[in-house]
Amino acid sequence: MTLVTTPAIVLSALRYGETSKIVRLATRELGVQSAIAKGALRPRSRFGAALQLLSDGVAQLLTKEHRELHVLTAFDITRVPVGLAADVGRYAAASALAEVMLRFAPADPHAASYDLLRDALGLLEVTPPAALDQIALRTLWRLVSVLGFAPALESCARDGQPLPPDGALPFNTREGGALCAACAARHGASSLPPDARADLTALLDPAGELPLLDQRHAASHRRLLSRYIRFHLGEGAELPALEFWLRRPWTVA
Amino acid sequence: MSAIEELITELARLPGIGRKTAQRLTFHLLQQPAEQVGRLAAALTGVSERVRACTECGNLTEEQPCAICRDPRRDPAVLCVVEEPSAVSVVDRATEFRGRYHVLGGRLSPLDGVGPESLRIAPLLERVDRGGVREVILATNPSMEGEVTATYIQQLLAGRGLRVTRLARGLPVGGDLEYVDGVTLQHALSARQEIG
Ligand SMILES: [Zn+2]
Ligand SMILES: [Zn+2]
Repeated sequence: MTLVTTPAIVLSALRYGETSKIVRLATRELGVQSAIAKGALRPRSRFGAALQLLSDGVAQLLTKEHRELHVLTAFDITRVPVGLAADVGRYAAASALAEVMLRFAPADPHAASYDLLRDALGLLEVTPPAALDQIALRTLWRLVSVLGFAPALESCARDGQPLPPDGALPFNTREGGALCAACAARHGASSLPPDARADLTALLDPAGELPLLDQRHAASHRRLLSRYIRFHLGEGAELPALEFWLRRPWTVA
Repeated sequence: MSAIEELITELARLPGIGRKTAQRLTFHLLQQPAEQVGRLAAALTGVSERVRACTECGNLTEEQPCAICRDPRRDPAVLCVVEEPSAVSVVDRATEFRGRYHVLGGRLSPLDGVGPESLRIAPLLERVDRGGVREVILATNPSMEGEVTATYIQQLLAGRGLRVTRLARGLPVGGDLEYVDGVTLQHALSARQEIG
C-alpha cells in the first residue's frame, strides 16, 4: 500500500452505508479516482464539511495496486466554490465540466486536465454575468482539447490539408472538425460561417479575447459543443449535466 | 433462484446493508416463528400500499391531505421547504416551527440528471400563487446541491411579494471551535450577528 498526497477536486460524493461516503476525485497525481471516506457522515468526522461537490483540496489516498476503490484518509480543504451555488447558470457550467472530467479523463496521472478544471471552476465563480456564456464555452472546449479531442480548424480533420485562413469552413462533427473541400465533398459537412469560425477559434484560444456572442449565437455554440462532446466522448452515454447546461431550465424562471 | 437467495438479494439492495448483513438478517428471520415473519411481511406490504405522498405538501401520509396540512392550528402562511420527507419529522420534532411544509423530493443535481421538473417545484409555486403564503423558508441541506436548489427556488419566488428566508449555517451548539472545520467556521463568520 502506498500513501499518496495529491491536490484533488471532488467530482461526486455518494452516501455509502450509514456513515461513509464514496467520492470520485479529479486528482492531479493519479487522474480520476474513486475512494471511500470512512465515517465522513459522522457529526464529528475529520472530513467535516470538506467533501462537498466541486470543492478543492489536498487528498491523502491509501492506494493499492490494481484496486479500484482507494481509501481517503484525509482531505484538507483549500476552497469550497460557494459562489457557484449562488447562481444556477454557473453551477450548471461547473457541473458540465465535472461530468466531462468524470466520464472522460483517464485514471492515470493527467495534471493538465486537473489544472484546467481547477482554474475553470475558479473562473466560473467570479466571471461577470455578461461573460458567463463565453467562459463556460471556452472552459468546456479547453477541457475537451486537453483531453485530446480538440476540433481541427486550421487543417483538414481527415487528411491534414491546410485550410484557408479565413472565410466559411465545412465542419463535420463526426470527423472531428473542419474539412478541406475534397473531404467535405466526399464525407459531407455543414458550413461553419465566417463569424462562427472566428468565434470558435477565439473560444479555443485561452489567451484570445472572448468573442461577443448574442443569445442566438451563444445557443448555437452550445449546441455545437454538446454535439461534439456527445459524438467524440459520449459514446452513447447519457450526459445529464451537459444536457442541463444546454437546456438552461433556470432561464425560464 | 432459491427463496433464501431471493431474500438475501432483496435485503442487500437496501441502503447500508451489504451482502454479509443481508445473509445474517435472512438466517435470523429463518429462525423466527412464522407469525413474526408474517407480521414483518404485512408491515412491508402495508407501507407500500397505504403510504403515499401528500397531494398538498409531498410529505408521506396515509390520509389525504396529511395530518400537518389538515391541522388548523398550524400557520398556512409560512412554508418550510425541505428536500426529503424525513426532514419534516426532524424539523418538526426538534424545533418550534408551527407552519406547514413543502417536500421537494430531492435536490437539483445536474450530474445525476435531477432537474427542476423532477422535483415538486411547480406544486410549490402553485401553492404560493393560490395566495395566503407570507414566508417561504428554504431548509434544503447545506450542501452544494442544497444551496443551488435554494438559489433556484429563491429566483422563482422573487417578485411574488413574499418573504424568502434560508436556514442559517454556523457553529454546532455545544461544540468547540477547535474541532469545527474551516468551511463551517467561514460560514459562521460571514453570517455573524450583532449582539449589542
Ligand atoms: Zn481533407
Ligand atoms: Zn401535507
